[in-house]
Amino acid sequence: MTDKTRRRVVVTGIGLLSPLGKSPAELHEALFAGANGLKEVSLFETDGLWIRRGGEIDFDPRDFLGQANFRPVDRTGRLAIVATHLALAASGWDEESRAGRELGLALGTTFGSVRTIAEFDRRAVEAGPKYAKPFEFANSVINAAAGQTAIWFGLRGTNSTVAGGAAAGLKALAYATDMVRSGRADVVLAGGAEELCFESFYGYHQTGLLAGAGPPHPQPCPIPFAAARNGFSLGEGAALLVLEEAEAATARGATILAEVLGHASAFDPSRGKDAESAAAAVGRTVALALADAGCEAASIDVLSTGANGSVVGDRYEAAGLARALGGRSAEVPVLAVKGQLGESLGASGAFQTVALLESMRRGEAPGIAGLDEVEKGLPLASATSESRRLDMRRGLVHASSFDGSACALVIERT
Amino acid sequence: MDVVEIRQKVKQIIANVTNISPEEIADGASFVEDLDLDSLSLLEIGVDVDYEFKLGVPEEELAQLRTVEEAVQMAIRTLEAKGARAEVA
Amino acid sequence: MSADAKIVVTGIGLATPVGVGTRTAWENLLAGLCGTTPVESFDTAAYNVHRGGEIKGFEPGPYFKTLKPESVGRASQLAVAAARMALEDAGFADGVPVDPTRCGVAMGTTSGEPREVERFDDRFLAGDLGAVGDEFMTLYPCHVIAVHVAAELGFAGSNTMIPAACAAGNYAFAHAVEELRSGRADLMVAGGADSFSRITYTGFYRLGAIAPERCQPFDRNRKGMMPGEGAAVLLLERASDAAARGAKTYAEVAGYGLTCDAHHMTAAHPEGDGAARAMSAALRSSGEKPEAISYISAHGTGTPTNDKLETSAVVKVFGEAGRHVPTSSIKSMIGHTMGAASAIEGAVCALAVAEDKVPPTIHFEEKDPECDLDCVPNEAREMRVDLAMNNAYAFGGNNASVIFRKHAP
Repeated sequence: MTDKTRRRVVVTGIGLLSPLGKSPAELHEALFAGANGLKEVSLFETDGLWIRRGGEIDFDPRDFLGQANFRPVDRTGRLAIVATHLALAASGWDEESRAGRELGLALGTTFGSVRTIAEFDRRAVEAGPKYAKPFEFANSVINAAAGQTAIWFGLRGTNSTVAGGAAAGLKALAYATDMVRSGRADVVLAGGAEELCFESFYGYHQTGLLAGAGPPHPQPCPIPFAAARNGFSLGEGAALLVLEEAEAATARGATILAEVLGHASAFDPSRGKDAESAAAAVGRTVALALADAGCEAASIDVLSTGANGSVVGDRYEAAGLARALGGRSAEVPVLAVKGQLGESLGASGAFQTVALLESMRRGEAPGIAGLDEVEKGLPLASATSESRRLDMRRGLVHASSFDGSACALVIERT
Repeated sequence: MDVVEIRQKVKQIIANVTNISPEEIADGASFVEDLDLDSLSLLEIGVDVDYEFKLGVPEEELAQLRTVEEAVQMAIRTLEAKGARAEVA
Repeated sequence: MSADAKIVVTGIGLATPVGVGTRTAWENLLAGLCGTTPVESFDTAAYNVHRGGEIKGFEPGPYFKTLKPESVGRASQLAVAAARMALEDAGFADGVPVDPTRCGVAMGTTSGEPREVERFDDRFLAGDLGAVGDEFMTLYPCHVIAVHVAAELGFAGSNTMIPAACAAGNYAFAHAVEELRSGRADLMVAGGADSFSRITYTGFYRLGAIAPERCQPFDRNRKGMMPGEGAAVLLLERASDAAARGAKTYAEVAGYGLTCDAHHMTAAHPEGDGAARAMSAALRSSGEKPEAISYISAHGTGTPTNDKLETSAVVKVFGEAGRHVPTSSIKSMIGHTMGAASAIEGAVCALAVAEDKVPPTIHFEEKDPECDLDCVPNEAREMRVDLAMNNAYAFGGNNASVIFRKHAP
């Protein structure tokens, strides 16, 4: 059902830091060209691990924000701050214009920083609690990056951190959309941030779910939907979109990039363990998102999937999309950015959304790099490694956490 | 370790926490008035100085430090009392 | 769906250091029972403080019908216990008669499952990382708390985790209200949970924030807070649905305000700016004036700074009259239960509204001129509670106020 009194929500600017570029344009061009952002990890030691590659970003926040003091801010916070800086610049919300307003922030993340909390704990255990580092404690709370970002840019409106694994970033976008739509906020930055670090890298390595990490340790193939896929790779990054009430955005002369038409969230009570239940949850989420957007499946021109090379996850998603979209899911281009960016958890839903937007704006759908052969029987006939040009206006983004929390968003370019 | 080294290390710690370069930190600089440090930064510096030199000073003593030089003198005093001007790895 | 739909509380679950079980906990809070005790879950010999709000002897088994309690972390166990209690309290002992795809979960937390990080770290330091299995990444990410609650209850609707630190419970309540008002859900369980951990204890110890003997909010000689653990869950539904099934209701969630100080990570804004704005926003969204508030459940951690700033924020919003609004802090009894705190305090507000009783601030001995307010010292009070305001402030500058209102069905 659509409530005609809902306010319309538009995107007026985007900022991001990703393994394939630091702007929507750079990211899109790299994806379209089939570039791969996974490389040998240098942030931490990977000796003795089966996996040594990830979507690591080489960046220095001072390149973007000058000689400011970033010491009290950890890596996740720095990623979020840089992406926010870029988003505010892109949308025209400079310091002066922010001063009298209460801009909100909804930041998706899985860990905040598991590295910060772990290092804080290890120092205390090894050297004694009196040597635990105060700065680290301040950053050990999961909402630290959102808090640091708010301090940096004076964002005094609602500040919410949304956790949810690979669905977190998309959920943050949905959360922010709802805030603006209902009139509780006029301007909200939304997206996600996640860092690459030893703790989560090793942790996922030990689950056997990273491509190549589980016995018999085959050549890693983290290619979404591929017949030969054997798991995902990890990545990092941050992406923030500025969401605003449409009329006010137009009145202030903002560039209107897109409109968020609808969203939905649902849960698979089997926590991803039962194929039918998992696919049903994805299907339900997508159907509800379409209903919320007042759209038919036939009006969707492109999909931005959360597929990351996970054997079961990609399958659930394909099945769920087919349930909700019928034949449409086999006809339209399928974006699957994680094969080239890695799985950046809290940031990934935002990356998926930005990639979708840029694709629609340019009429260019990136293929899924390295996808030689789609898994047999997967109801996603249009998934291909070929990048192509075609007109796309309205797209759907889906993301699910590994344990059954699904989210979908419908967005249209303007 | 002599006084000069200790002073250098203390200033480096302050630089690490605050991003103020060691050269810009006067010996007599006061943490709050001159360097504009908040209480969390002060605490971080105190912990780092204690950890760096393995001083083991009581919390109350760290909390009373007002200037860079006081921190340096505390380190010297404590290390002398411990009878060690140990090489720091 | 109507954006003005009244949202009511029809079930409450509480797991606290003064009792696991809603009635027990509530009655003990009214009795002024102190639940802070010597820490037993880890060795505090190297610290200069040794007390906290642990839940001793917690048995999760009775609350689990679907999952195995030992397969989830402690915060999840506490959350599931509170959620199960709330569900049964609302009359759904045999499961929900409504469509489970229309039942959602919104939870808050500060740390998630920090004991999983501790376990990883212990192995790291022992050179035994090979022993790390899939438990670290499947049990640690904090959203699993909401996942475990939903899996346990069979709720297949929206599933949201808002780790807004020490204000998280209020954020979860706010989100649940929106899910119901928008028509995306028919039933929501919402609340917060956190477990005791050496990490959290170390952090507050390191900040010099922990009181050695007892937590004394608003007292002139207050020495700090005490870390605690717990969970609270409220079952929320639209008033029309509650009425249709003849459910008992505790209170209406009248409105809320969420703001950010954007000032400092661990210290509140020196003029209580964000706190005051959150209170004002909550009043506006409830359509109420300050003078309508009967009772305030304070954030009241017991630190010298918080209680002073909180007092001045109240006066900022309520004027001098604010000094006479009964304002108690249950943290005096259970310590600071982190992400559970504002959830437990929300439950207290709903109960206060339902029963016309407010809990005390215990350990109160000497008035602080800078905290000149009515902190309901030491004894619970029977009084008419039409509106109760629940305030919470967190690291990162997250502020949240939620107002509960007497509901006539």
